[in-house]
Amino acid sequence: MKFMALASKNQKELLRDPLSYIFCIGFPLIMLVIMSIVNQSIPDEAHMVIFDIHHLPAGIAVFGLTFIMLFTALLLSKDRSQALLIRLYTSPLTAADYILGYMTPVLIIAVLQMCITFASSCVIALIADDSLNVGLLLVSVIGLLPSAVLYIGLGFIFGSLLSDKSAPAICSIFISAAGMLGGIFMDIESLGGIFFKICRLLPFYHSVKAARSIVLKDYQSALSPIIVTIIYAAAVIIIAAIIFKKQMKRQ
Amino acid sequence: MNTNTLHASHDKTAIDIQKLCKSFGTLKAVNQMDMTVYTGEIFALLGVNGAGKTTMINMLTGRLWPTDGDAFVKGLSIRNQMQKIKPVISVSPQDTAVAGKLTVRENLEFIAGIYGYSKAVSRTRADEMIEKFHLQEVSKRRAQTLSGGWQRRLSIAMALVSAPEILFLDEPTVALDVLARHDLWQFIQTLKGQITIILTTHYLEEAEALADRIGIMNNGHLKAVGTVSEIIRTAQTDTFENAFIKLARGGAQI
Repeated sequence: MKFMALASKNQKELLRDPLSYIFCIGFPLIMLVIMSIVNQSIPDEAHMVIFDIHHLPAGIAVFGLTFIMLFTALLLSKDRSQALLIRLYTSPLTAADYILGYMTPVLIIAVLQMCITFASSCVIALIADDSLNVGLLLVSVIGLLPSAVLYIGLGFIFGSLLSDKSAPAICSIFISAAGMLGGIFMDIESLGGIFFKICRLLPFYHSVKAARSIVLKDYQSALSPIIVTIIYAAAVIIIAAIIFKKQMKRQ
Repeated sequence: MNTNTLHASHDKTAIDIQKLCKSFGTLKAVNQMDMTVYTGEIFALLGVNGAGKTTMINMLTGRLWPTDGDAFVKGLSIRNQMQKIKPVISVSPQDTAVAGKLTVRENLEFIAGIYGYSKAVSRTRADEMIEKFHLQEVSKRRAQTLSGGWQRRLSIAMALVSAPEILFLDEPTVALDVLARHDLWQFIQTLKGQITIILTTHYLEEAEALADRIGIMNNGHLKAVGTVSEIIRTAQTDTFENAFIKLARGGAQI
């Protein structure tokens, strides 16, 4: 299968870039530790739960996926700028091969990142004299797969449209938006009102909600966010395919 | 004398270009090109910057959609059958197109893989290209650590690893030093007769040294096509350089 050769090349490039380790693995872990420390400082009277160890890992896992989005965009935009994609466009690869070839290695790294995030959460929970259900965390990884596809698809779109100079800037806007509007660093459910309604229209909130609900064994609440995320992911992939095909034909 | 009709033979035609046009807004980058390239020959598209050479190559290799006309590569239309054409062609682009973080060997195996070769065959093809292009001493080095000359050699090796029937070389010796250019010329000459090569260049001496036939382009038009001596004779000049200048300045058309 031709896409496997492209996927292998992309996998090697990602694994040989030190920034992959810093941003895809290191940064989410740092955020996990920092937010856990912040949680220690929050008085009980504030009733803020989003930073406690049962709510935090899901949010950080989604936050980590936004960096996967950035790396997907950089991978694709760099190939475009370095004429390598010119060579690939004249090869027998189809649009489906490109999409699978770029997304597959990034998806593997995304799953690895989520596993590392959740494993680290278990360690932090033990240190804090608490515990997390490892089985539920693994189920959360599965529940977050549509989110992973969604963010990778967004990265694919940005990588197809933007240069390797402008892709990080645009992605950083989405990273901030996901953090705020997804409820990772802000309890948007308690804010309510129009702001919460806007958040519910966007995919970020649903990604975080799905994973958090699974960890908290609230499977009923997990179902509709997962479905919404799947719909968003499917739409993003279709848009990504259309944009990439247009780029290939340059019509 | 029209060299196209003299040699015309359906079996020996690798590329048949018929009234091919490409416009970008009001700019006609390629204008009503008619041209034939024969199987096994080295055909040079010669012209100054902006003549339309790369645009022509981009249409023949499926990167650009023609505005009008058509071209047939091994009898297949670039408009309707591009996916069938791609497995038999290969391109070495003007800018060195290598995967920087992969080693020389990995780059070769990568390209072999996307042309459908299995892992084992990709490895064998990579070994052959490393031997052919004398890349042994750099085979384990990452492509981004190589000098421009080595990268260009690798780029062309990557174009050949898929064993194409038709090879497009877009300005293959740009930015190479004299020695690297000489080595590359020698190598291209060894391919004569084995595969069909279309090379674009703005170096007259390169076209003279390598090509069986030359097509001179200017402002999107094909001004002349033939061997060096044919072009000189028909332009009624004493040297190929003078013939090119006369044709490029619009003084004549063959």
